[in-house]
Amino acid sequence: MSAGLDNLKHIVVLMMENRSFDHMLGSLKAVNSRIDGVSDTWNNLDTTGGEVKPQPLADFQGQLNPDPDHHFPAVDLQIFGGDKSPGRSPNMQGFVKSYFNQRRDVAHSQKIMYYFKKDDLPVLTTLALEFAVFNRWFASIPGPTICNRAFAHYGTSFGRVDMNPFDIIEPIKSIYARLINATPKHTAKVYYYDTTSSTMEVVNLLQNQPELFGTYKQFLSACDQGGLPEYSFVEPNYNDHETDAGEEVANDQHPDHDVQAGEFLIAEVYMRIKRNPALWRSTALLVVYDEHGGIFDHVPPPACTADQFTASANSTGTGMEFKFDRLGVRVPAVLISPWIPKNTVVDRVFDHASIPATITKFFLNGDAKQSPREIHADVFIEPNTGPVDPQRNLLSLDTMRSDCPEFDV
Amino acid sequence: MTIIHVPKPSKKAMNPHRPVSGLLLAQIQHLQHAERRLPLAYRSKIYTHAIQTEGEAARYIREVTEAIHLAHSDAARQRTKSASHTNERKSGKRAKPKKRRES
Repeated sequence: MSAGLDNLKHIVVLMMENRSFDHMLGSLKAVNSRIDGVSDTWNNLDTTGGEVKPQPLADFQGQLNPDPDHHFPAVDLQIFGGDKSPGRSPNMQGFVKSYFNQRRDVAHSQKIMYYFKKDDLPVLTTLALEFAVFNRWFASIPGPTICNRAFAHYGTSFGRVDMNPFDIIEPIKSIYARLINATPKHTAKVYYYDTTSSTMEVVNLLQNQPELFGTYKQFLSACDQGGLPEYSFVEPNYNDHETDAGEEVANDQHPDHDVQAGEFLIAEVYMRIKRNPALWRSTALLVVYDEHGGIFDHVPPPACTADQFTASANSTGTGMEFKFDRLGVRVPAVLISPWIPKNTVVDRVFDHASIPATITKFFLNGDAKQSPREIHADVFIEPNTGPVDPQRNLLSLDTMRSDCPEFDV
Repeated sequence: MTIIHVPKPSKKAMNPHRPVSGLLLAQIQHLQHAERRLPLAYRSKIYTHAIQTEGEAARYIREVTEAIHLAHSDAARQRTKSASHTNERKSGKRAKPKKRRES
């Protein structure tokens, strides 16, 4: 029995853009040594052979321009430092080299090692310290946004390692189709910010099932009125644009968008859930980033179960095929619920395939066709159908916390 | 209970004239893929190869997203309409003729 799991009715995932764990949460090692953040022992060499250490000098905007390369070949360089030999091991030594390739400027290339001071990011760092922070949540693929986000929706990218449109290969279905077509029916929505920002899952979801989508305003209203579906996936605003109501600043935190705008979004989602007592008691919110965006992290991504697809040497751009048997670079991930003890640090390995894996296990008792990657992905919320392992259950408190922080948004 | 202040982004953060990013170009590519399957009447007149700024990208993204929603809702309306005609035919009922307005 777990009071937290017994009360859980809604899972919300907010997926931000392109920042590594060390860049956003690395400063927290100084506050809690169990958090695997930045230390003085990590470094990269620049193209002159100079040692570059992580430094707390990250800026909200204007620093990572051009956008650091995070396509498959660049991430391969970042992880393996340029080693292409058989049996190579990830050493995380190629971040500065990779960024140098874009502007040929040694001083500028060092900025890829910068991270935020704790107080720069009062929202994300507070949530990480107050609830559960994941030391080992990795992007699903050492590559860019679209294929990584596909893992969050389908548990696979169907063999893609790039940004091109892809087709769903049956019998695997999106987590939304699994939920709404189940017997009994479940409820699920993707909330994009507005139609001017739209979604990053156009070709399969928006094109074929536009009824799955709502706007961020509708998400906020559903929070207020108790109308949230069982599963909600929230997308940030991906572009600066004007509306009748005024200016909408991109809040996805993708370089070179303003990081503080994303902090505001995270705080608003959290507070909107928290301000409805019935919803707060019955909701778990996961804040996670789709991939590292080319920015330094010190933890070598581990090997994992191969997927049923293989990307050819031509499509990876590295001259080597990829069997989806290694995770991407580590990203920030925080699970929030009043049933989670303060200062929880999770050391188990997760990736975005853990999202459909968790939703499928929790709401559908695991009843769905899943990719090999999803089948082997760990879950961040335990299924509540039998005895619950207290060592794995993150929503482990017997009574709800009343000391959770609030933000003035 | 701790109340934490969240700074608002700087006014300078907004820049719709920023060069369009690789991410937005990919999103445009996906929307174009979807747009090609829309009936002609729903398609945008924006020339996507000429998109250079985030603001221009945003305009195209909105037009096609709204067009996809509209095309689906028009199709659903049409489906309901033809289903009700079929049901009327099956049950032998006919829609009441509209009253002619007396002039």
